[in-house]
Formats: sequence, C-alpha cells, structure tokens
Amino acid sequence: MAQETKKISIILSSDHHEKVQLAGMISSVAAVTGIEVLVFVSMGAIKKFKKGISDDEKFSGGDFSKVLREKKVPPYLDLFRQGKEFGGVRMFACPMAMEVLGWTKDDLEDNLFDEVAGMTKFLIEADGSQLLHL
Amino acid sequence: MLDLRISKTIDARGAFCPGPLMELIGSMKTEPVGSVIEVLSSDNGSAKDIPEWIRKVGHEYIGTEQNDGFWSIVVKKNK
Repeated sequence: MAQETKKISIILSSDHHEKVQLAGMISSVAAVTGIEVLVFVSMGAIKKFKKGISDDEKFSGGDFSKVLREKKVPPYLDLFRQGKEFGGVRMFACPMAMEVLGWTKDDLEDNLFDEVAGMTKFLIEADGSQLLHL
Repeated sequence: MLDLRISKTIDARGAFCPGPLMELIGSMKTEPVGSVIEVLSSDNGSAKDIPEWIRKVGHEYIGTEQNDGFWSIVVKKNK
C-alpha cells in the first residue's frame, strides 16, 4: 500500500483561470481530508489574486475557463478560503512576483495569504511533501 | 433511508465539484455530533466523492439514493 499523503505543496505560476481553479480544488479537498497544503503563488498567477479584479480578469485564460464561467463553478477565492477555514491550507505570495509589479500585501485579496515569503522559505517548508506545479 | 431522522438537508444542486462537499463540511461544523445530514447534489462526481470523504475522515456513511437528476447522500456526524 502506498504511503499516505500527509502534505502537498503547490507551486502555482499560471495566469490561466482553469489552473488556478484546479489549485483551489486540490487545496480545499486535500485540506478537508486531513492533508496539510502549502501554496506558493508566483509569476503570472499572482495577478489572479489582486484585490478587486473583475470576473473577466478572473476567468481569463484557456477556452475551458469559458465553460467553467458559464457553469458557475465555485469561485477559486472561495475554495482557497474554505481550505483555510476547514483545514490546513497556507498560502505564500512570492515577493519577487510582487516586487516586479510594484505591489505590496495590500494589493492582494484579504484573508488569503499567510505571508509574503520567498522561494527559500517555501522550499524548506515543502521539504518531504508531494510537490505539484500548476 | 426515509425512516432516518434527518437533522439537516443541504441543497447543493447545481453546484459543481467541490461545491457540494464544501457546503456539506460547512454545515457539519455547526451541527452537533450524532446529527444525520443529507446533501442533495446534481454533480455526478460529488455523488461519488462525498462518500469517499466521509469514510476517509471517519464519519458514518449512511447511503446514497438516486433521484431524478440528483443524488441524496446521507451522513452521520461521528465526531
């Protein structure tokens, strides 16, 4: 029998809605199943977490995102928040991605990111976990 | 399952994965231990996933009933 997964680390770098949505689905479901989840949001993905962006900006990306929007899937921000509320989801915002955009933590959605923490801290925290890249 | 005393019914019809599961968990947090909770889901994936979750986390899976276009999944909160 395979060893039970205790911790998942996700590097989220895509600015495509469908990948951000999938990261939210994995995070929330894993968290409520007793798996610790760490999400490192970097590169273009950080733009999906800017405070106050429109639905058009949230759902941008591949064609599949149009279908997801039409079907009214659960909003990814809700999924991440539920993962935090119901289980152990922690989210790090990449300081490099924020710096190149000239952003501070105030530019990000509230009540989502635990800290602005860089790659070194993420890699140390992610040690021994199952790593996913989206 | 109709003879069971259902404490709460959550209507998650129309919601896609993992919406029904999250709605169930939100309700389970506020209901007392021993409650029997029913979730209605029109999402086929959730109808299969929710029993898996129930077993994994140690609640009691009572059963699933297929209705016209949706499933009724019943769980007893154990802890």
